[in-house]
Amino acid sequence: MTEGWRHTAKPFAWRRSLWIAALLTPALLVMVLFVLWPLLSAFRFAFYEFNGLRPSGFIGLENFRQVLFEKPYSDWTWNAFKHNVIAFLALMLFENGTAFLIAFALLKALPGHRVHQVIVFLPVVLSAVIVGFLWKLFLHPLFGLVNQLLGLVGIGAIPWLGNEHTALGSILFANIWHWLGFPALVLLAGMQRISKDVLEAARLDGAGDLALMTKIVWPLIAPSVTIVTILTFIGSFNWFEIPYVMAGLTGSPGGSTDVLGLYFYRTAFGSTTTGIQDFGQGSALAVLMFVFVAGVTAIALRYLRRREIEQ
Amino acid sequence: MRDRGETIGNGAIQLLLAVNAVIMIYPLFVMVASSFKTNAEIFSSPLSLPTHFSTANLEKVWTETNFVRYLANSVGITAASVALILMFSTLAGYAIARYRFRLSSLVLMFFLSGMTVPLKLAIIPLFIQLDTLGLVDSYLGLVLVYVAMGIPSAVFIMTGFLRTLPRELEESARMDGASELRIMWSIMLPLARPALVIVAIQNAVPIWNDFFFPLVLITSDNLKTLPQGLTVFVGEFTTDWGVLFTGLTLAALPITVLYIVLSKQFISGITQGAVK
Amino acid sequence: MSRRRIGLALAAASFAWGFATSLAHATEISFWTWRQEDKAAYNELFADFTKANPDIHVKFESFPDENYPTIVSTALAGGKGGDVIHTHAYGWLEQFVKAGYFEPLDMATVPSLANQPADALVSGTYRADKKVYSLPFASQTLGLFINKDVFAKAGLTPPTTWDEFITVSKALKEKGIYPLANGMGTSWFNEMFVAIFTNPFLGPDFVSDLTSGKTTFKDPRYVAALGKLLELRPYMPDGFEGIDYETAGQLFLSGKAAMLAGGSFDIATYRSQNPAINMDFVAPPMAKAGDTPQATKFFDGGYAVNSKSASKEAALKLVNWMGTKEFGDKFSALLGNISPIKGVVIKDELLSHVAKLNETAMPHINVVYFRFEKPTGSELLQGDITKMMSGSITPDQLAADLTDGLAKWYKPFQGK
Repeated sequence: MTEGWRHTAKPFAWRRSLWIAALLTPALLVMVLFVLWPLLSAFRFAFYEFNGLRPSGFIGLENFRQVLFEKPYSDWTWNAFKHNVIAFLALMLFENGTAFLIAFALLKALPGHRVHQVIVFLPVVLSAVIVGFLWKLFLHPLFGLVNQLLGLVGIGAIPWLGNEHTALGSILFANIWHWLGFPALVLLAGMQRISKDVLEAARLDGAGDLALMTKIVWPLIAPSVTIVTILTFIGSFNWFEIPYVMAGLTGSPGGSTDVLGLYFYRTAFGSTTTGIQDFGQGSALAVLMFVFVAGVTAIALRYLRRREIEQ
Repeated sequence: MRDRGETIGNGAIQLLLAVNAVIMIYPLFVMVASSFKTNAEIFSSPLSLPTHFSTANLEKVWTETNFVRYLANSVGITAASVALILMFSTLAGYAIARYRFRLSSLVLMFFLSGMTVPLKLAIIPLFIQLDTLGLVDSYLGLVLVYVAMGIPSAVFIMTGFLRTLPRELEESARMDGASELRIMWSIMLPLARPALVIVAIQNAVPIWNDFFFPLVLITSDNLKTLPQGLTVFVGEFTTDWGVLFTGLTLAALPITVLYIVLSKQFISGITQGAVK
Repeated sequence: MSRRRIGLALAAASFAWGFATSLAHATEISFWTWRQEDKAAYNELFADFTKANPDIHVKFESFPDENYPTIVSTALAGGKGGDVIHTHAYGWLEQFVKAGYFEPLDMATVPSLANQPADALVSGTYRADKKVYSLPFASQTLGLFINKDVFAKAGLTPPTTWDEFITVSKALKEKGIYPLANGMGTSWFNEMFVAIFTNPFLGPDFVSDLTSGKTTFKDPRYVAALGKLLELRPYMPDGFEGIDYETAGQLFLSGKAAMLAGGSFDIATYRSQNPAINMDFVAPPMAKAGDTPQATKFFDGGYAVNSKSASKEAALKLVNWMGTKEFGDKFSALLGNISPIKGVVIKDELLSHVAKLNETAMPHINVVYFRFEKPTGSELLQGDITKMMSGSITPDQLAADLTDGLAKWYKPFQGK
């Protein structure tokens, strides 16, 4: 009996495996060739000294030590890291906070809400290059739209992108303008999943908009908040495009807008006007960024998911 | 009393949405309006409408840059990448969702781990890898990189969706003696259309907008994409704001028009990747 | 389904397109550069070259300045890249040479090296093996642009000393004209800005003390010179921290500002942007009357041959031709740059005036001496100078940061 079963099943199982393998191969092949292998190589580079542009010798953790603990590199690393943290906190508060308000406003489905939905999401589909250049022109100290508008109410020329106290904030503003629609509509989707009965019951109990928002909606959209938080975190620590376009590779002025993405790129590739590139140190930074983002994301996911369940 | 409170509340909400709409739209309006102005007009009266609609900027962009070529390249590269992502991820997702095999959860984990990886950080070895394959400075090389970046989340979404399809259809077809290929192609995949649309849009938008990879991987001017072309363009016309605004407007135009026509699909495509 | 088919057809078409464009002539070599704006001039020069060498065609390929290092290094690491590559000088060049990406040039392959003056050759020479890898293409002079019409209208004379500069600036400001157009919004230019105004206060003695290891940037002479920069702030435009080099150029060209610290490399650009401009290019204000006028000079870069080039011979031939007087004359005339090639005749009056300034010019200290290893003097200075100009650090702190950072690799600064 068992003999016979094996006999008939074997060619079938073999053909079945081949079929499954054929389905998986194209996707796996592309991933191995263009994601896995380059990433492993980049990790390997982090442990090599680069003399010129080619690896010249294994140096263990030296590159990591330099970017973390040796001045002036460590100053630059922590300076950039600090700006990533500021970006994350600012985006959580201002971008996602505003997004929550807008999502709640859209949830009410008042006349015109569909148009508003389309409008708030419009900048999201534009390229960061377009958004960055557009706001760079608007924030120009002499001829930019923003200062011209402020001039109407008697406020003098402010060098938004040129002053170290306002530059990062200005870039964050452009980023919020670009992305606001995304968290707004993700949160809206979360709110729309709250059952109508719950909302109706609360209304009948006499809850006003404010009470509804804080007591009912906010706790019930925890899963969406988790997703928005995680994506904001990943986005803040891989931030590159908009600072690159608006502040340049050096994070001007004076490194006040430098973020890890820029610092990595500059370290690995140099820039025409500051010189020298170092693939080894650059790769070490890349590894650190990857480990940090992946690690925190994993821990945060576990913690936030647990909170959702408790809710 | 309550009605009055609600009216005030609704008024506040409409006001919030209106203010937000102005902040979102006004900059784009100024961008378009400025593209019809001369440089001097932008500097002297940036807030006013153009006094006469000058198309001089448009002509300049048209004649002095490779704009049409960049546009065509972006269309071709985005379309090819999305087509391959759909094809590869559907096949892989189908295998994981519809068959039980020993390594299936491991394979899924492998794809998922690709979602957290910023491929930018591996640009140096990636370049060397593409070069070994003779794919630097070619459409195919860039397309394959985009495919590799798109596959993880696409496999995730396709697997999730294909799992929800009822087993009965498949089983009865199998009873009738249909081949596995036939079951997949004519029975299961037509049902997966909504997921395919989501995956397509979710990938098309970032690929269309990307400028980092072309910047490093494409060097010939006639292979450059639109965002990449835009950075070259901005470098050449830094002081001519009229031309700059025209370039920005033209670069934003195709996707904006498409978005307004298909806004529902765009919004669900981009947000559902996160919501799922 | 049909949408999908269209997608596939597009994919196929785009690949075919890619293959078609990769076909090339056997005798075609490419020239890579970041000078996008010089396309027309180079194509004219290359046409001359092809006339003399009908079997070689040169293709001009240019890339955005900011990404040029990324593109060149990734391409060269993969054994690709242009046959002839426009390089920056000094440390920038050295990292490529170290990796073996460029072909050494000698009198046998590139006889026109003989036409180059010694200080120019230094910019293309690898310090370790003393061989030349890049044929210098231009010297750049940093100084002060003067809008003569603005001065004439205001009834003032362009300043030659620092005290005159301050007096004249006060008078200009009262008339509603920005005395100095510059801002601090472009970091690569900020470094040049520092060199322009500090060099007359530093003098050649400081440079020789610095390079012989007798002193560091903590030297009181350097700190005092940095302090002078702070005196310029009232005479720069409103919101100068955010004004970039392009905007400064526009302010100068439109007559809203009377002076602009800038480089000779922009003379041609400014003329094309405002053909009516009546401008002069002079040495920056001297420390005191009677000093030697001191502009700042450096060699920008050169032309190198890719060691992996498939047509190395043709590439060397081109580079050799780019070192001849024939090339230099036309290059200077077309691009308004000063060719270092001996015997080149500069017909343009303003340019020949600049060439005269070069005779007594100071070197661009950071670029010439401190860009060889990480951290470079440039990244240290560029990071700190905006902070100093906005008042959040003092000249002393900048000098200390610069010295301590460089001490990582520059032995004479260690322990000082």
